Amino acid sequence: MSDAKRVVIPCSGIGKAFGTVAREATYQLTETSHREEYRTICLPLLVAGDQKAIDLLKQSRVYTIDGCPKKCATLCVERIGVDVAMEVMVPKILAKNTEHKPESVLDIGPDGVLLAKDIVNVILEEGSD
Amino acid sequence: MSELPKVGIISCSGEDCPGGNISREATLRVLHNLRPDETVTICLPLFLAGGEGERGFARRFPTITVDGCGKFCAAIGTARFSNKPALEINIEDYPDFSSLHDDEKWHIQENSSDLVEKLSNDIATHVDEIRKTWGKP
Repeated sequence: MSDAKRVVIPCSGIGKAFGTVAREATYQLTETSHREEYRTICLPLLVAGDQKAIDLLKQSRVYTIDGCPKKCATLCVERIGVDVAMEVMVPKILAKNTEHKPESVLDIGPDGVLLAKDIVNVILEEGSD
Repeated sequence: MSELPKVGIISCSGEDCPGGNISREATLRVLHNLRPDETVTICLPLFLAGGEGERGFARRFPTITVDGCGKFCAAIGTARFSNKPALEINIEDYPDFSSLHDDEKWHIQENSSDLVEKLSNDIATHVDEIRKTWGKP
């Protein structure tokens, strides 16, 4: 496992395609050529109160990707006392890339994959130290 | 209108393990294909991020939690913030779990589709059983 200090956490919302897009964007960062710099952890660990996960985030630069205004990923991180370095809202990225509309929560389709790529580009361009 | 309760299914959807992806896919299959009229769901992180409305979920619905590993985040989180689940499922209990590859946290491979199907069918069966027996002495 990488010791990368940049941790990307998507909401993985199960009710909307944007939750799946957030998840896809996370893997495009953490499972590709960027994997030495970026990693993810399971967001549910924070809900369960896992101390190891909390300690890791306290030592990391944290990026959150949320699919709806409830901002679960961001709020979960903040509620354990960790500052979020960069918040990305999927609907806002779509508003700037309207041709990349995801299909459904089950299958975001090729345009949804491109929307995830848009998110990755925003993080790489605007989220560096 | 049926008087039987809807059953809440809460998937861990853990991002950093293949079991999380399997739990999510199986849960979505039940919600969308197998028992769309008998089930409801909530995003697990809403228990921590949300308010009392969200935290009342497992008090309103009998709930099945679907965890992708033995850390039981969905079961623990649901019990911690809402109510004890009616049933806790752990994918590690399935023999096929041991053949999952780490990269299946992103893309589920064809071999693991059987596990998704078996898990989702089991969840659907549990939904039916819970609805039949819920609230009966």
